[in-house]
Amino acid sequence: MESPNRLLLLTGAACAMLMLSGCALFRSKDQKVEKPQTEEQAAAEEEAEDADSTPPRVIDPNVARRKIKVPKIDNENWEIGLGLGFMSVEDFGTSSNYAAQFNYHVTEDFFFRADIGQSTAGKTSFETLGGNIELLTGDERRFTYYSLSLGYNFLPGEVFLGRNLAMNSGFYTLVGIGSVKFAGDNRLTINLGAGFRVLPTDWLAIHIGVQDRVFETDLLGEVKVTNNFETLLSATVFF
Amino acid sequence: MELSITTTRSRQLRKISALVFVFACFLSGPALAKQTPEEKTQAKEEKAAAKEAAEQEKLLQVFVSEPYLELATGPGRGYPVFHVVEREQSVDVLYRRTDWFKVRDEQGVEGWARARDMRRTKLADGSPFVFNLGDRAGFTTHDWEIGMGGGDYGGANLISAYGAYSLTDNMKIDLTLSQFLGNSSNGYKAELGLTHVIVPEWRLSPFLELGTGIVLTEPRATIVLPADRHDQTAYAGAGLRFYLTRRFFLRADYRWHTVFTSRDDNEELEEWKVLIACFF
Repeated sequence: MESPNRLLLLTGAACAMLMLSGCALFRSKDQKVEKPQTEEQAAAEEEAEDADSTPPRVIDPNVARRKIKVPKIDNENWEIGLGLGFMSVEDFGTSSNYAAQFNYHVTEDFFFRADIGQSTAGKTSFETLGGNIELLTGDERRFTYYSLSLGYNFLPGEVFLGRNLAMNSGFYTLVGIGSVKFAGDNRLTINLGAGFRVLPTDWLAIHIGVQDRVFETDLLGEVKVTNNFETLLSATVFF
Repeated sequence: MELSITTTRSRQLRKISALVFVFACFLSGPALAKQTPEEKTQAKEEKAAAKEAAEQEKLLQVFVSEPYLELATGPGRGYPVFHVVEREQSVDVLYRRTDWFKVRDEQGVEGWARARDMRRTKLADGSPFVFNLGDRAGFTTHDWEIGMGGGDYGGANLISAYGAYSLTDNMKIDLTLSQFLGNSSNGYKAELGLTHVIVPEWRLSPFLELGTGIVLTEPRATIVLPADRHDQTAYAGAGLRFYLTRRFFLRADYRWHTVFTSRDDNEELEEWKVLIACFF
């Protein structure tokens, strides 16, 4: 007999809670209507009281200020990439070349570039015609270089592929200093170059570039300035 | 109270993704034991949507307070203006490249706005959008600087690159990597040092430096010399920094090195160089 009693009691309690909360809901609506009246009355009474002592308050100075937290804006000024091409080593023919480059864009006009690359020089015409003569060993034929350059962007524009695709592009020139390791020796180089950059998206760039790496050498008997032209097709990403 | 500064769209997305998440939790409760591949992919999609919403949450929203904000197709003055955002409309700032901001307007149009114009936009609370412009003030106060150039190291040609981090406006910690190419030997060196800029506000600003490093010396192939050697080096130096324009400055310095060789006497070398550098 105990359990039906408890059930009845619980049901009663639940109904009472629901009804009470329901009443509260209705009451709150009624109160909303009543509230302004009471506030107005109170204000009127206050005014009547304060009329003699202090002037009425027109502006409430307690304004809640919104705080804005500025998130860090992503800077995408760095550019890194790899390239393949040809290196023409003066007197030693032209051979394939690979390189890595690292750019930092300082302003929309200027950027810094650090690049490093490697190629293997071929044979001089003297070696080719002379039969078994070898001027350099295999290791010495390796042509390794790096340079630090300042780039200047000019002629910005767009290239169009068909009717619907336009990609940003631009020319740039480069001037810098660096070093080359060739024939077992390191030489100071001065590099001059130019390139063309196409950006299929904002973060990807395709470069076609030519650079002349100039250095002095006495490898073939007399001291002379050599011009070594590098042609490179490279892809870089901005980050 | 800290208010969100994101777009209504992202807020809606967040709400929807939160609702979807709650709904998914409610549904997945009984079915958690057995998850079909479809449910798994759905869960993945929801996660991706939530992630996207979270990513959007991080974007800064600014309001156009001038008559309009021009958007160009590329981050450079030569690229054409293809769209304008009207006054009182907002843009989300996606990222920055040099002095251009990639932004997205309320209609989802993305374009590049120049920094000078972005300076005149307002945040959600009405305060101006303030950011690093890369001017004279930046020359005095900045976090990082990098530079490169050349000079002379004990009679050898020197190629040098450096990077520095500002501990304060006056004090910087810097790392210099160099290669020297001389008549008798070549080599590389890496040095870590402290630079004290005496008056960083001055356009032509002197500094003092102190540091240590390692020198790797290789004899030239044509001259017979002992094999490659590593030596420790210490230096004291002084120099000048000169603000050029925008983010560029020239840095010229003189360093007096003591190389701690394995021979009886330490070697003393003079180095001077001129670098073109930028700060950011």
